[in-house]
Amino acid sequence: MESIKIRKITSIWIITVLTLFVASIVLGILMRLNQGGVLQQTPITFYSNMTIHGITMIGIWFVAGMAGINYLMERYVKTSYTANLIALILTVIGVLLLWAVTLIGKFHTAWTFLYPLPLKVMWAKWATPTFLVAMSILSVGWLIWGISMMTQVLKKYSIAQAFAWQHFKKDPEVKTPPFILISMITLVGVITCLFVAVVLMALYFAEYFSGGSFVNDALLMKNLTYFFGHTIANEMLYLGLAVIYELFAEVGGRPKWKTTWYVALAWNFTLIFILTAFFHHLYMDFVQPEGFQIVGQLASYLASLPAAAVTVFSVWVAVYRVKIKWTLTNLLFFIGVAGWVIGGFGAVIDATISNNIVLHNTLWVPAHFHTYNVMGNVLFSLGFFYWFSIQFTDKLVSERFSKLILSLLIIGGAGFLLAFYIGGADSIPRRFSNYPAEFTSAKFLANFGAAFATIYLIPILILFYNITKRCLKILFSSSS
Amino acid sequence: MQQSSILLLFFFLMGIALIVFTYVYLSSKKADQGMTNPLKKRFWFFLILTVMMGIFASVTIPKSPYFAFADKTPAKVIHVAAMQFSFFLSENAIDPEKPSGQQIELPVDEVVEFRVTSLDVNHGFAIYDESNRLITQTQAMPGYVNRLRYQFDEPGKYNILCLEYCGMAHQVMRSSFTVK
Amino acid sequence: MSKNIVFLFLLIIGFCNFAEAQTTSNALKEETNIYEKVFDVPLQVVDRQSASFDELYAQKPVILALIFTRCTGICNPFLVKLKENLQFKTQENPFQVLVVSFDSRDGISDMRRLAQNLGLEDNKQWTFATTDSISRLNQSVGFEPIWDSLRQQFDHDALLVGINKEGYITKKLIGLREQADLELLIGSVNNIFSPTYRLPNQNSLFSCFNYDPVTGKNTPGLGLLFLALPAVLTTLLLVFISYFVRRSRQKRVQLN
Repeated sequence: MESIKIRKITSIWIITVLTLFVASIVLGILMRLNQGGVLQQTPITFYSNMTIHGITMIGIWFVAGMAGINYLMERYVKTSYTANLIALILTVIGVLLLWAVTLIGKFHTAWTFLYPLPLKVMWAKWATPTFLVAMSILSVGWLIWGISMMTQVLKKYSIAQAFAWQHFKKDPEVKTPPFILISMITLVGVITCLFVAVVLMALYFAEYFSGGSFVNDALLMKNLTYFFGHTIANEMLYLGLAVIYELFAEVGGRPKWKTTWYVALAWNFTLIFILTAFFHHLYMDFVQPEGFQIVGQLASYLASLPAAAVTVFSVWVAVYRVKIKWTLTNLLFFIGVAGWVIGGFGAVIDATISNNIVLHNTLWVPAHFHTYNVMGNVLFSLGFFYWFSIQFTDKLVSERFSKLILSLLIIGGAGFLLAFYIGGADSIPRRFSNYPAEFTSAKFLANFGAAFATIYLIPILILFYNITKRCLKILFSSSS
Repeated sequence: MQQSSILLLFFFLMGIALIVFTYVYLSSKKADQGMTNPLKKRFWFFLILTVMMGIFASVTIPKSPYFAFADKTPAKVIHVAAMQFSFFLSENAIDPEKPSGQQIELPVDEVVEFRVTSLDVNHGFAIYDESNRLITQTQAMPGYVNRLRYQFDEPGKYNILCLEYCGMAHQVMRSSFTVK
Repeated sequence: MSKNIVFLFLLIIGFCNFAEAQTTSNALKEETNIYEKVFDVPLQVVDRQSASFDELYAQKPVILALIFTRCTGICNPFLVKLKENLQFKTQENPFQVLVVSFDSRDGISDMRRLAQNLGLEDNKQWTFATTDSISRLNQSVGFEPIWDSLRQQFDHDALLVGINKEGYITKKLIGLREQADLELLIGSVNNIFSPTYRLPNQNSLFSCFNYDPVTGKNTPGLGLLFLALPAVLTTLLLVFISYFVRRSRQKRVQLN
């Protein structure tokens, strides 16, 4: 009985995510077309769209990852359906409020809502408090979900076991599945950055309701903003990786991956580095002491090392000269890992302080994070969605059709991203609704990006139709 | 040009990644026993990555802008106050109550110092040369002053753009100065 | 009674506003002439050979104080406070204090008396001097005393000018200032560069770092606590949940 409930709620999550994904891609394409001069939106419309595009994308791929690990966690521990449901309800309320705030209220602070921009009201008066309330609702909903899942894991595993510390010794008695280890590491990161969001919101509310008598420190607020924003954007990738650790071998018809000492070590280190890497967002704020800047660069480098040496290498080991049953699911995973690595190169280059001075807030920034989302995390989650949807139906996507889907995803994604990277190297600023005339290549690149994003949208729509249809069937089936 | 070499480096790394992933994928078509001794190979992979990153970090960190021209006495100091949606540049300190700016001319081949702050929200202060290359930048943060030192080697007109999103006219927030 | 309190309150507020306006305009004045070269004047030095200014700053960076001996106002407390603030100063970053009169009536004997009154006549770090080109010096450091014939006094700022070994003005301070500001001044004449500083009157409760000019390092502020708090909370939560679920499981086992 219980397993049907989780199946249904996971279906709702998937349908919600995919619907919002398609809508946000369309907003993104409209933004690129506006930058390319094909469309003429007012700057306010452009920036409102940009704000909701960013918030929605971060939000949906985070919940997609959470819903994914929640579903798979049922294999090891009993999870709380109530917490899942509360998170779903609060997410829907929060997202609806945010769409109202930006599209009706014309709130346009970008998704980073850098202090004190939300308090300098240039939109409907109700939009600022509603935005803060919506963000608080989302934070609280996700906190409940994260803490509940953490509690369920801790019911079965002790802290040491959940972090796989016993694997540092030879032949441990209790074996921690990699999925539990990675979920736990990620949940701790997620809960931390959601607490940061709560602190940030509290400071905003304090200033908003103090009527000018309490003023926040801009540096503290910027640190908090990126502690929250950077970390949640990073953790959602790790949620996707947890799914890969669980499913990659299984889908290919291979024995399950095991936790070893180096897997345990790498992920424990990742937890530490990922919580300090956000300092790289403040490289150009000379007010931040140099020590923190250098910690930012080192942590950004070190965060990528265990991931590369363990996760990427494990994927290679699992594939190299091994007979694998390739399906759409594990191909999406495999291509996603490649996209994640390439985006990682762009990220490490940008996380180098002496490069950052000529790349910071140019198109290089959206270039690299779109790479490991569009060609990485999204593919991880789509792989999971597809795998989930075919569990309970028998009709699969034919191999030839899979090839078409993947080719379109790669061609569309590559062209879309290339326009960003070249724009970044051409010093074209990010977050400009219209480009100054002196950036001669900017308009062409924007339209080029929009065209390829449209190609990317085609396979997404196919998958949307395909997966949603099956999920709806699961949702409305009465038995099994 | 720093940006061109960055792009080149990125394409080079991307190429390597694509070759490795394609090679690994194709190898699964003619499968046999899998990778021999993966732990040993993993160790070497990790070691090479660590050494490369270590070298990269130790080369780049000393080039960080916080240490640039720290031991020099600048020839000129320019005060910069950023405000939605304009910049005030002045050789004198700028009164936050009545900000005003002036035309700025800077000497070539000499160190100059920009003291950058903001009077409202966070802004960026990015300097573009005549060929529209971003050459240096800092952030303008309310309540704080960032000191950016730079030596212009080429005379000409330099543009300043705001590179931190600051609201609806962010894209037209700009200024300029000349170097002679 | 209550009226008096209200009046007093208003007076205090008025004074505070005035003081704030004063600091703002002083802060603006302090930013003038930075990195300009100080005018190289000839100096008649008390109890020493006369010298030119460039000989002096070439030996050691200079902190220049401009005063006049007949001052009934700020000059004396200004110098006393400067002496107090500097007396325990270690020689980590070298500097010398040069006190120059901007009043043409002051002779070398007036300056000697001033040094004696301050108990500084034998202090090698302090130099008292007069010059015959005071207006050029005033102009080069942006100092504008105004003669008030009614009071027979100059109306002027209590100005300290930091000059590095190359003779460039690195920093100015106006008014009676605390130790920390003086340390910044001494750091600046020794070309110690900090890539940032905070605007006056902009100290907020939750700032992350406070720059300590003595060590040249940032000390953690209250704001850093807010950054660390979430990680601490999560750790506590982890331990708490773990303890709680174990205990309830043990209870269950006992019941069975």
